[in-house]
Amino acid sequence: MPSGMSPNRPRDLRVIPGPTLIAGGRQAWDDTGVTEPTVHSRHRLSFRDLRRREDDRLLGGVSGGVADLLGIEVVYVRAAVIVLALIWGLGVLLYLALYAATSDPEPDAVTPPPAADRRKRIGLGLLFAGSLLALRAVGLWTGDGVVFPAAAMVFGTAFLLDQRDIDSTNLLARILDPNDRSVRSRTVIGALLLILGLSLLGRSAAPAVGTTVVAVAVTGVGLTLVFSPWIWRLAKDLSSERRERIRQEERAEMAAHLHDSVLQTLALIQRTDDPKRMVTLARSQERELRTWLYERSPDVGENLTTLLRSTADRVEADFDIPVEFVNVGDVVADDGIRALAAAAGEAITNAAKHSGADRVSIYAEVSDDGIDVFVADHGKGFDPDAVDGDRRGIAESIVGRMERHGGSVEVTSEPGEGTEVHLHLNKENS
Amino acid sequence: MTRVFLVDDHRLFLSGVKAELEGKVDIVGDASDVDEAIEAIRDTTPDVVLVDVHMPGGGGLAVIENVLETNPDTRFLALSVSDAAEDVIAMIRAGARGYVTKSIDPEQLVESIARVEAGDAVFSPRLAGFVLDAFADTMAAPIDPELDQLTPREKEVLRQIARGYSYKQVARRLSISVKTVETHVSAVLRKLQLSNRYELARWASHRRIV
Repeated sequence: MPSGMSPNRPRDLRVIPGPTLIAGGRQAWDDTGVTEPTVHSRHRLSFRDLRRREDDRLLGGVSGGVADLLGIEVVYVRAAVIVLALIWGLGVLLYLALYAATSDPEPDAVTPPPAADRRKRIGLGLLFAGSLLALRAVGLWTGDGVVFPAAAMVFGTAFLLDQRDIDSTNLLARILDPNDRSVRSRTVIGALLLILGLSLLGRSAAPAVGTTVVAVAVTGVGLTLVFSPWIWRLAKDLSSERRERIRQEERAEMAAHLHDSVLQTLALIQRTDDPKRMVTLARSQERELRTWLYERSPDVGENLTTLLRSTADRVEADFDIPVEFVNVGDVVADDGIRALAAAAGEAITNAAKHSGADRVSIYAEVSDDGIDVFVADHGKGFDPDAVDGDRRGIAESIVGRMERHGGSVEVTSEPGEGTEVHLHLNKENS
Repeated sequence: MTRVFLVDDHRLFLSGVKAELEGKVDIVGDASDVDEAIEAIRDTTPDVVLVDVHMPGGGGLAVIENVLETNPDTRFLALSVSDAAEDVIAMIRAGARGYVTKSIDPEQLVESIARVEAGDAVFSPRLAGFVLDAFADTMAAPIDPELDQLTPREKEVLRQIARGYSYKQVARRLSISVKTVETHVSAVLRKLQLSNRYELARWASHRRIV
């Protein structure tokens, strides 16, 4: 009868459990829904399957490994270890033993076993409680006033911290959600256990102060341990946030630089009708960008190449003419080299100013014979025998500089053939 | 007309070069990534391939190496904005017959293409400088004197080129024919491609971008 069935339908619809991501990035099946009933029974527990966890671990990853093996959350295993640690350090011994006995994590071979369903969880809980009582029966015990309240408090905290399918932002919403029993029941159980533990502690505190102090201290440590995944996750979030911030700052710096330089130039180029000016803008921008990209490395100090290159760049910018610089070998700058570079600078400026050429070429070679710098243009040239005053003056400043450092200058030029200035400096004189 | 193929991953630059070369050479095709280029060059069998050095997917090097396997007669001219010695030397050693920078003016580019097509080498001043630097005398003895050293005349030609002179000017300055200049330069190219001088690779990787 279809019409009678329809009102019931929303209730009957069970949410099909889907994989949910929990803290460690593992997949877990939500135990509020229906899990495949055969999965856990088919999965046989084997100690050989125990692998220490590599990620999401506090110490050696043993608790995580055990949790993975049992299909429960690591907080419960940690709680159990802490409670056992209160019994003459049994938990510590057990932890160390398991650490020694287990193999190293194999990140590739991880096949997380299916999560335990409710029945198995209760079974494991009873098993642990039974083990505690058994230990008490055989006399391996540190006193009811210590172990019971501590166990209640530690497990209470564990229940509160069980975050398998919630995150801190929607915790309250999940607790208040009437359709969601699992989170609410965990919260209630956790709170009740905590209160129970505290009251047990308070009762036993009256007669035996010494034991209580121990219990409080150890519980404090226990709480810290239990809380630590939370703190750990918080710290991890913070550090990844910081990395992201640094990356963003770098990006912002890069963007700011590009904005101040390249984008400005591009905007200028778009507003320019003069092709010559466009070329000038593009060239100066290219030079600037190259400097920024490649020369931010630590200063290598002053040498022939850096001196000549900076001169070339300056002339290129001042006179709007390409200056091509090629060098073979390099030498650290001294007075002679500085004079050579200054003389070359004069020659380059000269070529740019007077030759009318469309480019200036600089070639510097350091060899056994000494240092040679050629400044050449393919401009109009001149007759060296009939130089005007201006030329002579510049020749003086070039020749004079070179000769003071034992160098020589050779100028070859012919009208219509361009000019070449050859500067030479002997190595021993430099 | 020379049949030219263009490879550059910058579309804008590609169209610029195309416009410049229009009418001066026959552009048979272009490509902006490595795989596309290899396939299209095999299909169109151009005389000269103008190839960019830096491209995703192996760069110009991959294009040259792959095409030369099947079409050994294809000639390559490397065109780059990089000027990094290791890139330039790697392209030459892979088989490129020359290297020019992207700032080269159109007439020079056309001239360089013709030179490459004729089987000669195209040395820009910077490439000449690289080669002189790479073959500069070191303490180590050359393994193969024929390939590992430059003759004095070759060095002289390279120095002239490095000083910014064209092949024609070099010929006049050294009182030799242009053909002789080309012969010297091609010999240097061959040495550059075949020399096993280990300094070559080491030098190139040490030399920083200029």
